[in-house]
Amino acid sequence: MRRPSIADVRFRSYDYTRLHSAPSPQEWQFRTRLQEELRIRKESNPRYSLRAFAAFLETDHSALSQILRGKRRPPAAQIRRWSKKLELDAEEAAAYIAAGHVPDAATRERENQLRHWTAEAMAIITKRTHWEIVRLSRTSPFQPDCRWLADQIGVTADEVNLAFQRLLRLRLLQSDAAGRWIDLTNPPVLNEKEFRRAALARVREKAAESRVKKRGLS
Amino acid sequence: MAHPVVQFQIISKTPDETARFYSALFGWTIDAGNPMGYRRIDTGSKEGIQGGIWPAPPQAPNFVQLFVAVRDVKAAAAQAEGLGAKLLIPPTLLHEGDEMAVLHDPAGMAFAIWRRP
Repeated sequence: MRRPSIADVRFRSYDYTRLHSAPSPQEWQFRTRLQEELRIRKESNPRYSLRAFAAFLETDHSALSQILRGKRRPPAAQIRRWSKKLELDAEEAAAYIAAGHVPDAATRERENQLRHWTAEAMAIITKRTHWEIVRLSRTSPFQPDCRWLADQIGVTADEVNLAFQRLLRLRLLQSDAAGRWIDLTNPPVLNEKEFRRAALARVREKAAESRVKKRGLS
Repeated sequence: MAHPVVQFQIISKTPDETARFYSALFGWTIDAGNPMGYRRIDTGSKEGIQGGIWPAPPQAPNFVQLFVAVRDVKAAAAQAEGLGAKLLIPPTLLHEGDEMAVLHDPAGMAFAIWRRP
């Protein structure tokens, strides 16, 4: 009976359907494919070593080790070359190259946080509605009614609602059981310039707070 | 106390278009005649839950949010934070006596807890 070749073992052992079901970003990485390849070869031949795998790929074993441990990312040309040696087709190699450009979860989370807090800051800078709500909340007769506020400020009710919600998120305003809206700027700011300064400081505090909480949870 | 999902909320970058779309598609009645200008959705059925439409801030995608009933919003928010949720909008009393808070669950999905008056 013919002894199964490495290629036979690889195709039998490597579950390609995983890639089509719900691959995690970890599985998108070429290094995961290399780890799997090495595992299959070791399964077939327990004496098969990292050095042997590196020799097969015509590379230095320490460089390969770094890639397998995620310490180094293989460049696109290397993925193409090694994919040929592993008899992967060009489309699969292209998918691994594309996956190399997808940011990892931590980078994505940092980018989302940056986008979120930048948007909060820019809204404070560019939309006067925030200050107008705080200013009007101190006046009499104030009506905690978005339609009334929209008329007073000259914007839409949606714009008032977005600003109201942002002021709640930034703890610059709160509403109480009597339906009053209470200015939480402390000490109470006197003009728009002071309000923007206080609000931007609050954005920075909230951003720092969310970074600390994230670290605490991870 | 059980904690049923009592309301759904569509967060939309184009709330008027969203309201028109769902009214045309399902015949839902959408009314913004309240102090918050909140687009309340009446599906016209006693089955299921009712909903609302709220404008999405620029940095947020369009998404659907669930409102879960609790007896004590502050306590539920604290419990959620203890379980890894992140408080976005602290417990807030609304004009008609409702109280709500908005949180991100540990997977980053926004949901609201709500107490009716």
